[in-house]
Amino acid sequence: MDFVKNSWWLTFGAFFSLGSFMFAALLSDSVPVQPIRYNHAIHISNGLGCEDCHVGARRNEKATLPGLDTCMQCHSEAVGQSPEEAKVRSFAGTSQPIPWVRIMQLPEHVYFSHRRHVALGGMKCAECHGPMETRTEPPTKAFRPMKMDNCIECHRERKASNDCNDCHR
Amino acid sequence: MARWGMVIDLAKCTACQACVVACQAENNVPCVEPEEAERGRILSWLAVVAEVQGSYPRVSMTTRPLPCMHCDSPPCIRVCPVQATGITPEGIVRQTFARCIGCRYCTNACPYTRRMFNWYRPEFRGELQLALNPDVTVRPKGVVEKCTLCHHRLMQAKESVRAEGRPLAEGDYVPACVEICPAGAMYFGDLEDPESRVAQLVRSPRAFRYLEELGTEPKVIFLSQGEWAGGKQEPR
Repeated sequence: MDFVKNSWWLTFGAFFSLGSFMFAALLSDSVPVQPIRYNHAIHISNGLGCEDCHVGARRNEKATLPGLDTCMQCHSEAVGQSPEEAKVRSFAGTSQPIPWVRIMQLPEHVYFSHRRHVALGGMKCAECHGPMETRTEPPTKAFRPMKMDNCIECHRERKASNDCNDCHR
Repeated sequence: MARWGMVIDLAKCTACQACVVACQAENNVPCVEPEEAERGRILSWLAVVAEVQGSYPRVSMTTRPLPCMHCDSPPCIRVCPVQATGITPEGIVRQTFARCIGCRYCTNACPYTRRMFNWYRPEFRGELQLALNPDVTVRPKGVVEKCTLCHHRLMQAKESVRAEGRPLAEGDYVPACVEICPAGAMYFGDLEDPESRVAQLVRSPRAFRYLEELGTEPKVIFLSQGEWAGGKQEPR
């Protein structure tokens, strides 16, 4: 009888500890925090386009995250009352680049060119990046996860090349 | 559809090894320690291979730049258990490094020994780290690598001609080895196009394919040196 009791406690203990580990893992899978709580919606509604800040989106391989110079073109003087806006100018004082956190990450062995998709393939930014004009907070995860299945599916639909080495470099 | 091929004129080749260096630099091929090179663990997608003929005093040596032959019937892809290697519609024998499991069947199957295994994590010291080509990945330890005919250059060429709204012309896409050759001994182009320079050279009486008898149908064609092959001089 003791044995049965013991084994019940053992099983309970094992499940409890496993569960708490998983819970801790879930909590520690932290959301990326951007240095500035950038509001895409307000910028787009004021007439900015994607390429005004992500300058390479149409012309280059990489769309790029905006540097301080880009922000300072408008924000060298205060435009609004947001405390987030003041942070931009405080970064300008340190002469350090804004430490944006990249959320769209491709593995190193994949070649992806924005120019190929946007300029030559005629894709809209929103097809991969989602409706940015509605986002008042910085995105915390990729709208379309960077998975090979997603690439293949879209390439198949649009009859783009599915040859391995066209993307795997 | 193009069928990419290369012609190497052995009468013009001076075995200067410029193509070897260009290939290493273009494709991020790491250097290995001399001791490891002696054990046959050197990585060179393109090597100048020397062949000694005859015996003393009538001895001669031929040197031959040897890239991957990009065979039409490649023995290497038949043995790959995971389809990490294959042949593209344009005839390039490709290698998907991320899919390779490093079994080295293909290295043994290649009669030209043009497939190399990464025995170590590649090391690029000092300035070499800054000279890495961003268009080509650095292969991890434990995968087989080989010449891709500078496939990234083909992709870039296709991209820029599409932006210009014209078809791919001869000379838009050339691998690094062909581009660098100071003696002008290497030619590259579309073998399907009868007007292309390579297609004309392939029809030369001097043209031969290395280890042709194996039936691999290589797309790298050599032009033999010397008059004994009945060669007439090709115009430069």
